[in-house]
Amino acid sequence: MFDYEACLLACARGDQRALRQLYEQDSSRLLGVALRIARDKALAEDIVHDAFIKIWRGAGSFDPGRGSARGWVHSVTRHLALNAVRNHYREVPLGEEHEQVANIELDGHSGQIYTCLEQLDPARRTCILHAYVDGYSHSEIAQKTGTPLGTVKAWIKRSLAALRECMA
Amino acid sequence: MSEPLDELASEYVLGTLPAEQRAEVEQRLPHDAELRAAVDAWEQRLLPLAALAEPVPPSAQLWRRIERNLGSARAPWWDLLAVWRGLAAAGLAASVVLATLLLTRSPVEPSFVVVLVAPQTQAPGWVIQASNNQQIQLIPLGVMEVPADKALQFWTKGDGWQGPVSLGLVKPGESLSVPLDKLPPLSSNQLFELTLEDPRGSPTGKPTGPIQAIGRAVKVL
Repeated sequence: MFDYEACLLACARGDQRALRQLYEQDSSRLLGVALRIARDKALAEDIVHDAFIKIWRGAGSFDPGRGSARGWVHSVTRHLALNAVRNHYREVPLGEEHEQVANIELDGHSGQIYTCLEQLDPARRTCILHAYVDGYSHSEIAQKTGTPLGTVKAWIKRSLAALRECMA
Repeated sequence: MSEPLDELASEYVLGTLPAEQRAEVEQRLPHDAELRAAVDAWEQRLLPLAALAEPVPPSAQLWRRIERNLGSARAPWWDLLAVWRGLAAAGLAASVVLATLLLTRSPVEPSFVVVLVAPQTQAPGWVIQASNNQQIQLIPLGVMEVPADKALQFWTKGDGWQGPVSLGLVKPGESLSVPLDKLPPLSSNQLFELTLEDPRGSPTGKPTGPIQAIGRAVKVL
């Protein structure tokens, strides 16, 4: 089991080997997350690059009281990717190749979030997955699923409230 | 916890907030403990969904790029440049070293770097970097002495061009960004120079005064 917290502590001390270990451990996973959102390999690699620089510089201020170190590493990368696609128009238009999330098999994954997602109406579940995994905006989800924008916004709001209740 | 705050946190983490609201949340986070707690809770709730994105192996260059840019957190590039400024050695050697150092400065990689050196002493006086082919930045390494009745004019000439083209007047000690949209794309070995001209620029449209600094573009990887 990779010790993320020890790794960040070592990074904060300036130990580059620790960052390299984190890279070996997680770069493929993080690139996968960034690529789903950015949909362009070069841009996704830039995002992972920036994430590792941010992790390196921010390791000293990481607060374990705020959540897991692994979660922080993931969130840094994912928010950089979201900022990249929200701040610029998407370089790669929405295509057919990203339909798969709608039919994604949730059975293979365990955890409370999956149990709670199963309880949502499938159309609403799809909205949540498009948003989190593909980084789609409200209007991109509306366009992609052929649902009115107002409906998408309301579904997402209610689904998030339902998830919070389910996971409480 | 208030409901609007939790909604804001949940849509921030989900990713559905528009850019302006995302920026607002990110500005509030460092000093708003309640919002931070709500965001952290949502990050933890949704984190397992990260497993839905298939891992993708990065290219071999990615780690090298990261490693190269780590140093800049501790040693800003201009500190290192100061070391090299003292080395009035061969201009080309300095350009290669400076090119490498400049790369550590920012995640945006310049595609060309030019070190402008004084023709007599070879002392580097200015650095030009281009992070894309449309715009270049001229950065002074010190304040160059310019007589009161003269001005510094910035020129470039590519291989095969008729003659140098003016990129405008430069104030000593100040950085300058120059769009290159009216010129052909930057190329390796392209000449850049600063000459001493009349206060309003060369009357002929071509360099007339003595060269104060000169250098050629070096492509960086």
